Amino acid sequence: MTRRHALIALLVGGVALAALPWLLSDFLLALALSCVMYAGLAVSWSMFCGPTNYLSLATAAFFGLGAYVTAWAAGALPYGLAVLAGGLVAAGFAALVGAAVLHLRGAYFAVITFGLGELVRHAITYYEKAYEGTVGRIIAAAPESTTVYWMVLFVSLAAVATAMIVRTSRLGLALRGIGSDEERAQTLGVNARGAKVLAFALSAFFAGALGAAMAVRWTYIDPPTVFNPFIGFQTVLIAMVGGAQTLLGPIVSALVFSLLTEFLRLQFPYLFLVILGLLLIVLVLYLPGGIASLFVRRRWRRGNA
Amino acid sequence: MPEPVLSARGITVRFGGLLAVDSVVLDVHAGELLGIIGPNGAGKTTFFHTLSGVLAPTAGRVVVAGDDLTGRGPHAFAAHGVARTFQTPRVFKEMPALDNVRFGLEFAGRTRRHAHDAFDKAETILEFLGLADAAGVPAGSLTPARQRLLEIGMALGTRPRVLLLDEVAAGLTHAELDATAQLIRGVRDELGLAVVWIEHAVRVLMNYVERVVVLHQGAKIADGDPRAVAKDPAVVEAYLGAEVVV
Amino acid sequence: MSLWFELAISGLITGGIYAVVAIGLNLQYGLMRILNISHGEFLMLGAYLTWLAHTVLQVNPLVFLPVVALVLFVAGVAIYRLCFYRIVSTAPAVEVIEARSLLVGFGLLYLVQNLAYLAWGADLRGYSFLTESVEIAGARFGANRLVVFAFAVGASLALLAVLRYTLIGKAVRAMMQSPTGAQLVGIDTKFLHPVVFGAGLALAGVAGALLSMVYEISPAMGEPYTVTALIVIVLGGLGSALGSLLGGFLLGLVEAFGMHFTSPSLKMLLSYSVLVAVLLARPKGLFSR
Repeated sequence: MTRRHALIALLVGGVALAALPWLLSDFLLALALSCVMYAGLAVSWSMFCGPTNYLSLATAAFFGLGAYVTAWAAGALPYGLAVLAGGLVAAGFAALVGAAVLHLRGAYFAVITFGLGELVRHAITYYEKAYEGTVGRIIAAAPESTTVYWMVLFVSLAAVATAMIVRTSRLGLALRGIGSDEERAQTLGVNARGAKVLAFALSAFFAGALGAAMAVRWTYIDPPTVFNPFIGFQTVLIAMVGGAQTLLGPIVSALVFSLLTEFLRLQFPYLFLVILGLLLIVLVLYLPGGIASLFVRRRWRRGNA
Repeated sequence: MPEPVLSARGITVRFGGLLAVDSVVLDVHAGELLGIIGPNGAGKTTFFHTLSGVLAPTAGRVVVAGDDLTGRGPHAFAAHGVARTFQTPRVFKEMPALDNVRFGLEFAGRTRRHAHDAFDKAETILEFLGLADAAGVPAGSLTPARQRLLEIGMALGTRPRVLLLDEVAAGLTHAELDATAQLIRGVRDELGLAVVWIEHAVRVLMNYVERVVVLHQGAKIADGDPRAVAKDPAVVEAYLGAEVVV
Repeated sequence: MSLWFELAISGLITGGIYAVVAIGLNLQYGLMRILNISHGEFLMLGAYLTWLAHTVLQVNPLVFLPVVALVLFVAGVAIYRLCFYRIVSTAPAVEVIEARSLLVGFGLLYLVQNLAYLAWGADLRGYSFLTESVEIAGARFGANRLVVFAFAVGASLALLAVLRYTLIGKAVRAMMQSPTGAQLVGIDTKFLHPVVFGAGLALAGVAGALLSMVYEISPAMGEPYTVTALIVIVLGGLGSALGSLLGGFLLGLVEAFGMHFTSPSLKMLLSYSVLVAVLLARPKGLFSR
C-alpha cells in the first residue's frame, strides 16, 4: 500500500469515526473516546520505541504535563490552543530531557524515564501546594463531550498520519538503523543523537496533546490522577502486545484493550487485572513481536543466502 | 604532492595505564592501496577506531581532506568520506541486504557523488559485489563471508574517499581471498578511493597492496614498499620471524 | 542531640529494610539482567503469610521467618523456571532480556497483587507484636522496630558473607562478572540462576515478614518498596551487593532527615531527584568500580 493510499484510507476512516457521536449512546461514545485515546498514545509511543527498541515509561509524564497545561490555561486559552500548547510543552520537555538521557539504553533508560515521570509529578505537587496553595484544580468551563471526542480523534489521527510518514521517511530508516546497531548507523552517517531527540519529542508531542485534550473530562484534576503511571504501563502494554514495530498492531490492540477494560473491569476489577497480567506474561514469552508478528508477511522468505 | 586524503598526526590512545597506540603518524593519499599489519595487540583496530571517529584519540589529530575532525563523532567522519568495515561484520540483521546498502546512500552518501555514477544505486553496488541475488534477504541470514562483502557494499554506499577495511580476509580460502583482493583493487581503480586494509594474513596483503605500514605495540615501525618492509630487520624480529619470500 | 539520634536510628531502621529488598533485586539483575519489577509483591506475600500464621496459627513471627524464606525461595525457583528462563535463553541481546523481563515483571505484578486483593480484600490488616518501648540513649523505640532492624542488618551481612566467603557465593560473583568465563571453569549456571532468583525473592519475603511486625499490611504495600529498591540499586550500583547495603542505609537516612526538616511531599521529590541525578552522572551507580 503506497503512502498516498494509506493516507486516503486514514482520511476515510477518520470521517467514519467522526460520525460516531450521532450514532452512539453516551456510554458507547465514552468507550470510543477511551479507545481512540489509547490508540493515539500507543501509536505515538511506537513511533519512537518501536524501531529503536527503547523502552520508554515517560508517557505518563508527557500526558500529565499536557493535562496541566489545560488546567493552568483554563479560561485564558481556547480549547484547541490549549491542546496545541500541551503538545508543545511536552515536546519541549522531551527534547530537553532526551538530550540528557537518550544515551542510556535498556533497563536504565526505562528506569530513568519512569523516575522522570514521578519527578515531574512530585515537582508539580510541591509547586501547587507551596506556591498556589492548592492540591488540585477545578476545570470549570469544559467543552461538550462531542467536541472533546472530535479533538481527541483529531489528535490521534494526526499521530497515526505522522507515524505513517515517519516510517517511510529517512528518519524512520535512521531509527531502524539505530535500533539495529546504533554505532554502525553512525559510521554510515546517521546523527544518532539528533534523530533520537527528534523522534522522542515528536512522540511526546502527541502524548501531551492527548493529555491536554482529555483533561477537560475530569472536572477536578490533581497530580496523582493525571500523572498516573498506569497510563504509561497501559500504553506500553498495548503497543507491545499489538506489535510496536507495526502501525496497525497498536491500533487494533488499543481497540481490544479498551473493550476488554470496559466490559470486564467494572464487573470483575481484580480478576480482570489478574487475567491481564497472565496475558502479558504469556505474550512476552511466546509472542514477543506482539500479535502483529503473526500477520506480518515475510516478504523475503523467498530466496536464500 | 597533493594533500593527503586522510592524515593521522601523532595519534596516541591510552586506556587507563595501557598505551594502545603510540604517536602514529600516517598520511594516506587518494587512490593508494595501503596495508597495515602487526601482531595481535599491536593496536591496529584501535587505530582504525580513531581514524573513523568511533574513538577519540587521547592525543594527536585526525585530518580528513584538510578538515580537522578530531573528537567529532563517527557520523561527521562518514559525512567527510571515511567509510569502514568491522572485524566481525556488523550489518543490520533484520533489514534486507539492499536496504543495508541503501542506508549509506541515504545518509553520509547523500551529499557526495561518486567519481563513477553507476555506484550511486544500491542495486549496482550489490551487483558489483556479486550479491544481487541476495537483495531481498535479511542480512542476518547471509553467510559470514557474504556479510563481509555486504559490509563493503554498505561502506561504498556512503560514497567514501577512504575505505578502511578491518581484516576482511579472515577465514577465507586462497581462492576466495584472491577474489576479494581483486574486488578491492577493482573498487579502488573504478572509484579512485584510497583503501587502507588491516590484515592478519600477512602474506596475502603483501601481494596485493602497494604500500605497507607495520605497527608493533602501538607504534609504527616500518612504512614503505612491501618487499622492503618484509626484509626490514625490525619487522622481521617483531613479527615475521623469518624472511618472507615475496 | 537526642533528636538527631532518633532520626538517625529511624533512618537506619527503614534503610535496613530497603537494603534487604534491594540486595535481592540486585542479585537478580546483576546475574541475569532481570529487573524484577514485581519484587515488592513478594514482599507483600511474605507479610501476608506471616500475618496469617500469627493470627490463625498463633505462630511467633520471628520463628516463622525461616518458613517464609523457604516458601518464597521455592516460589522463586518455580517462577524463574516458568517465566524468566525462556527469556534468558531465547533473547537475541541483553537489552532485549532487560526489556522483556521488565514486561513479564509487570505481568507478575498485576497477577500477584490482584490475586491478593481477591484473597484478602483491600482492607488494611495487622497484628501487634513486641510493641513495648525500649529506651536507648534517651530516645524511645518500639521493641519490634529494633528487632526488625537487627534482623534486616543480620540478613544483609549474612548474605554479603555468603557471597564473599563461600564457594557458592564466589560462583555467583564469578557469574556476575563473566558468564562465559564462569561456565568455562565449570560453574553450573543452569543450576545457579534459579537458586539466585529464589534467594532474591526469599529476601523480599523476609523483608515483608519483618515489616508486618511493625506496620499494617495491604495488597498494595509492595510497590513503593520496589521503587525504593530501584533507587537504592541505582545509588549503590547495579550488581553490587555491598552498594545496595550502603545505599539502602543512605537512602533511609536521607528520607528520615529530609522528611523531618522539609515537608513530606518534598521527600519523594528528593528521592526521585537523587535517582535521576545519579543515573545521569554515574550511570553505573555510586559504588561500582
